Amino acid sequence: MNNLFSKITRERAWTRREFLRTAAGATGATFVSQFHPLMASVEIHRRKTVVVTFGGGARDEETFAPQGQENIPHLLNELIPQATFCTQLVNRGILGHYVATASLATGVYETFDNFANVAPSHPTIFEYYRHALGRPADDAWVIAPSNGFNRIGQSSGIKFAPGYGAQVILPKHLLAAALGPDHPRRDDLNFLLQDSYENPLSTPVMSHTDVSISRLSEILHVSLEEFTRHAQTLSSADELSVYVMRQLMRQLAPSLLWITLHDMDVAHSGAYSLYIEGIQRTDRLCGEIWQAIQSDPEYHGRTTMFILPDFGRDSDFDVSGNGFQHHRTGDPLSRTTWMMALGPHVRPNFTVDRPLDSLDLVPTLGALLDFPTPFAQGKPIAEVI
Amino acid sequence: MQPSDLKEQNFDHYPPEARALAVENLATLRRVPFALLPVLLCEVIDYDWRFPAEQRALDRQFAYLRELSPSSFAALMAPFAGILLPPKFAATDWVNQPQRFSERLSTDLWSTLQIDAYRKAATQYQNRLQAATPEKAPAVPRFAIVVVGQGVAQTSLPLFRPLRPHGTLFTSVQPEHGLDRLVQFMNQRAADHPLAYSHWYIDGGIPIADCGSRQGITLTSYSALAAAALEELNLTNKFVEQAAQRNAANAETVQSFIAALGLEDLGLERNVSDRVLRHFEVKVLTEGAGTQVFSTTFVQWSAREALRRAQPLTLLTRYAPRQRMAPMDELLKRNPLQQATDAEGSLIDADMGAYYTWINQSRLPGSEDARFLVWYEGHSVALAIAPSMARAATSDEHADMDKILGWMT
Repeated sequence: MNNLFSKITRERAWTRREFLRTAAGATGATFVSQFHPLMASVEIHRRKTVVVTFGGGARDEETFAPQGQENIPHLLNELIPQATFCTQLVNRGILGHYVATASLATGVYETFDNFANVAPSHPTIFEYYRHALGRPADDAWVIAPSNGFNRIGQSSGIKFAPGYGAQVILPKHLLAAALGPDHPRRDDLNFLLQDSYENPLSTPVMSHTDVSISRLSEILHVSLEEFTRHAQTLSSADELSVYVMRQLMRQLAPSLLWITLHDMDVAHSGAYSLYIEGIQRTDRLCGEIWQAIQSDPEYHGRTTMFILPDFGRDSDFDVSGNGFQHHRTGDPLSRTTWMMALGPHVRPNFTVDRPLDSLDLVPTLGALLDFPTPFAQGKPIAEVI
Repeated sequence: MQPSDLKEQNFDHYPPEARALAVENLATLRRVPFALLPVLLCEVIDYDWRFPAEQRALDRQFAYLRELSPSSFAALMAPFAGILLPPKFAATDWVNQPQRFSERLSTDLWSTLQIDAYRKAATQYQNRLQAATPEKAPAVPRFAIVVVGQGVAQTSLPLFRPLRPHGTLFTSVQPEHGLDRLVQFMNQRAADHPLAYSHWYIDGGIPIADCGSRQGITLTSYSALAAAALEELNLTNKFVEQAAQRNAANAETVQSFIAALGLEDLGLERNVSDRVLRHFEVKVLTEGAGTQVFSTTFVQWSAREALRRAQPLTLLTRYAPRQRMAPMDELLKRNPLQQATDAEGSLIDADMGAYYTWINQSRLPGSEDARFLVWYEGHSVALAIAPSMARAATSDEHADMDKILGWMT
């Protein structure tokens, strides 16, 4: 089985590497020669970081494999040519979206119940960052996709002084608050409030929220009417998240911004067409986020963006799974995914083929921004820092 | 209670055949490690409602385990014996509620990061069983037929892409009477090989007449089960509301509630002429994600389960347009048969579903001789996989369904 694991992960890496070489039309030597260490010109305290994770991984078959490339034109044509691309990111933890995303944020494989309302046990990247660099609360934000993520910004405090977490914003909560139970357009906008695709029956749709309307206006500097009016122009919950992210960037310009997109997890319903739509939308939104960074003077030229799925989905060929629908088998493909990094200091069009661990993200961010991450168990990715 | 403590009376609440099987193999069961035994009992407790192929497989498994020497038995079970479980598990009623135990086991294995070790143990165990007790290939080649695209007048979708390397794509099929011919083909195979649960027809909408139990065919359809699916959703929504009031609604309790739903709960006890099939349908609705709300998911998952469990000689699946996507809370409350449909999206779902049906058929004994046909209903495109068909080939030869079936057989 271990041999099989190694064999399959090697094959995945080959697929991505070969694609990159043919699609990007470049070689490793070219990449290195094009590299200019622009980061040196950006003082550390002015650097900003944006992390985009996908809660509901996408497989190679629907993305980087030849038949899947049509689904990700923005990742392929706009972002990868500018990125360092890590072809093997292995998640060895629990394959549930909240616990896995929490693990990405702590650098430790968290082991709590994925569906429980609990905080991560270990310090988060936000706490390390704010504590070490003395940053204010408004400098670190998480834009989270669902109810279950509302405690991801701050660890339980057992291992680290409390009070340094990120502010967590749940766009669906904001919209629910803005609409209220009796808003005449509430039924029309219910599709933006969908909380979970994995256990929809055990996760009631949000009808109540503790987020006040005044807080909404304060954070986003938009009126209730503007917010709901804009929501009516959107086609998915992830679009709502990206809209909120852009408002945050404009109003507060946080230096550490983490957003988790979730639309593609509709795959749990078994409808392949909806899963593909989710991937295509996520691809477009990634392009829009990068464009937003480039067009905002507060972010342009000083921002590193990381994009990574939290994990993959089951292989078509694992007998205990049902292909794209779930991520329950723990098979190599459901554990193996990728990561790309873009920014002024990052080598463009560069590929990292060696196996990396999902836990490497936190130490890498720490190394980039110059703060320690003592409880994190991964290692900084040398090719990115 | 530990496995070594098992006694005959522990199985008093099992259905008759299941109890007899457990009692007959009591000495073996007592030696199975705790991490495996309740999983095995999930199979045993449903023995009375299992398909013949499943019963044969379980019988072979016990026969194999009984004949192993003590040292070989211990070696086979060693990986499971190495799985550490919390002591509180022994206090649960794992004999009578093995399914619930399995859910807790899964949660514990993930949270203790033992899932990979368990997966490895399970794979080794299955490989050993298959090597020691191989199932014979069927007397006639299996034949699976998938019909997709109902309601889609034309499409730009490049159909059957993942299947093309394995067979011949026909681009000039004469579609007239194609469906009738496929039904005749099904019925003829059922007449020629009259074995229980060996010929299946699964429809995502209203099934075609004259292709059912009278013809010796096991028939299930989304239109017939939509009411049961809606009842399941209603019951679960009520349970969640009540549990939420007690602050006790969580994924595990909801999952256990759904898993415990039976024929009576879903209103399927009224048609008990085929109790084994009704139990299959309950499993499809209670264990399959999305089978309740999307007819395309229902067809794909039912085909997967029928192939895995019943190992049929013949399978015909026909996709119908599913309801349009909507907010999940609406999907979980409304009648799926009374909604606007998404025919284009359903074709994409079905195209992938056809690929999965081929994969699942390929896992069965005799796969090297199996036949597979997928057809864009009412149109001129079909793909055939068979030993006699060229791989990765395209044919524009004019052919009706009879001709293609003839080439395949």
